[in-house]
Amino acid sequence: MKKFVKSREMGLVILLAILMVIISVKNPAFIRPSNILNILKTNVILAIVSLGMLVVMITGGIDTSVGAIISTATLVTGNIMVRITGNIWIAFLAGAVTGIFIGILNGLLIAYIQIPPIVATLGMYSIVSGTALYITKGAYINNLPDTFTDFGRITFLNIFPDGNGGKMGIPIQLVFLAALIGLTYFILHFTKIGRGIFAVGGNRMSAERIGYNVNKITVFVYGYMGFICGIAGVVHTSIMRQVDPNAFVGYDMQTIAAVILGGVNVMGGEGTITGTLLGVALFAVINNGLTLMKISTYWQSIILGALMVVSICFVVIRKNQSEKRQIKVEIDQEVTK
Amino acid sequence: MKKHSKEWMLLGVFVLLFVVLSVLSPDNFLTLRNVQSMAFQLPEFGIFALAMMVTILTGGINLSLVTTGTLGGIVSALVMAGIYAKGMKEEIAIIAALLVSMGISTLCGVLNGYVVAYIGAAAMMVTLGTSTLYEGIGLFLSKGNSISGFPSAFYWFGNGTIAGIPVPLLLFIIIVAVTWILLEKTPWGMSVYMVGSNKKAAEFSGINVNKVMLKAYMYSGFLGSLSMIIMMSRYNSARVDYGSSYLMQTVSAAVLGGTAISGGYGKVFGVVIAVAIMQIISSGMNIFGLDRSLTTVVTGIILIGVLTLNFITSQKGSLIKNKLKEE
Repeated sequence: MKKFVKSREMGLVILLAILMVIISVKNPAFIRPSNILNILKTNVILAIVSLGMLVVMITGGIDTSVGAIISTATLVTGNIMVRITGNIWIAFLAGAVTGIFIGILNGLLIAYIQIPPIVATLGMYSIVSGTALYITKGAYINNLPDTFTDFGRITFLNIFPDGNGGKMGIPIQLVFLAALIGLTYFILHFTKIGRGIFAVGGNRMSAERIGYNVNKITVFVYGYMGFICGIAGVVHTSIMRQVDPNAFVGYDMQTIAAVILGGVNVMGGEGTITGTLLGVALFAVINNGLTLMKISTYWQSIILGALMVVSICFVVIRKNQSEKRQIKVEIDQEVTK
Repeated sequence: MKKHSKEWMLLGVFVLLFVVLSVLSPDNFLTLRNVQSMAFQLPEFGIFALAMMVTILTGGINLSLVTTGTLGGIVSALVMAGIYAKGMKEEIAIIAALLVSMGISTLCGVLNGYVVAYIGAAAMMVTLGTSTLYEGIGLFLSKGNSISGFPSAFYWFGNGTIAGIPVPLLLFIIIVAVTWILLEKTPWGMSVYMVGSNKKAAEFSGINVNKVMLKAYMYSGFLGSLSMIIMMSRYNSARVDYGSSYLMQTVSAAVLGGTAISGGYGKVFGVVIAVAIMQIISSGMNIFGLDRSLTTVVTGIILIGVLTLNFITSQKGSLIKNKLKEE
């Protein structure tokens, strides 16, 4: 089984490498450190949110309220920073709490009222984004305190040439990505609840019978997603140095697209962080690289869409082939209805 | 009566809302002008909602619904404008446009259906991918611009009336009837419900599950093209982003209308009422001068509220009530 997963990720790495070579040949500007760092900075939010989406999708669920959670987190944080304090810790705390709160609401609806994830998160999206838009009237917040904007500009390892004679480094936002990667990996692979997440996604009925509290796991998973969205929102604000309530409309689809490219099994039970990150990388390279190759943006959508369909077919055909070789006991989920 | 209680409750909600809105604003809401205006707006959304419902019934979903429609629309718009510009008769241009649009959208549905049914991939993911693909092709063909130059007779589809009833509404009624007949009175329709209920069982009872699902996605695409034709006529142009806000709303409408997201259950009647509810909320809020953003809030609350009510009144709900009583 591990070989199968490994080969899937290897395939992605190879595809990524080939793409990068092609793009670099066409436009050497691609491979310049300044461009690579630019790609990283532009897509760090996508990567962060995709981590959360991965966890949700492993349980077989989905979260379409992502855009609303992120923008609400940015609004709350932005307002706090402008009116109360520019303290960075408080900003992140505010963002995280906002996200967790909305996420837990999602989880409760899905777990206890048994509203299907797509519908519950859709409903929450409408309510949350509508309320936020109504309260703020879509106004930007531009006057963020310097403590925060300076924080957003911090970079490490200023050894990379930036093409203008100066030096640039790794943006601090990537530190957050790394931390969240570590946290997500730890939760998924080293905690009981992580095992529960895989179990619920694999076969919900079995998970229940083994003794996992499916409801608690569900609430946790969506709460975690909310937490990640909250952090992502604050990180985004630190990059953009302003709050735009409309910045994340439709973001859930991009996240889901990246996670699909990374080979998650939509039915649940499977998915790796590496795969997801590779999916994000693929997404990012396609967007950036095609632009540098002067291929029009229209082709980008076509290529992305085609890649997604191919990727899905790939995953499913592989899975069907490997399933044919297994002897499975199918537990009928319908029996208890 | 219990079997259809969901839909009757929904009808009750609709009537209640209608009455409340009429009472609160008799001069603006209950006027012929407003009712006609709603009757013009509702069909394009309603047809989309039915298209979405059909795929949900099979246990899938069609996230590429809107982009399927716009792709068909853009190609047919190019064809129609091209034929018209060459000086040929208006009727030829329009008929060509209709055929092309239906053909392309149905083809898009074939791709969707093939990958979902024959390759067996999850519908949500596949249609997300194809949605991006179709949008890309549409963008490529239209270069992001809107395509116009339609013959004036085309205006009739979206804006004309027959005996005071808007043409789009008549089209919608016909489509509702056809869909109802297909789902309730044909073998295919019954197979759709069975496949959605329990795919394996349907397979074992001899149903060609793949064919049934393929046809569902084809029909969904076909309906999408019809909705887009109405939109094209109303806007007198075709553009990739027309109708983009409708996608998730159609899922809401289908679910609000009592369709089970896992498939196997859903009544055309319910979905039509749900669409009507969403339409009068939107129009009502508009009339009261309330912010657009509040409309989404209210829609979301109603969606979650109705589902919660369904849950409480359903079997599962009563089980929990009993458990609480025991404590």
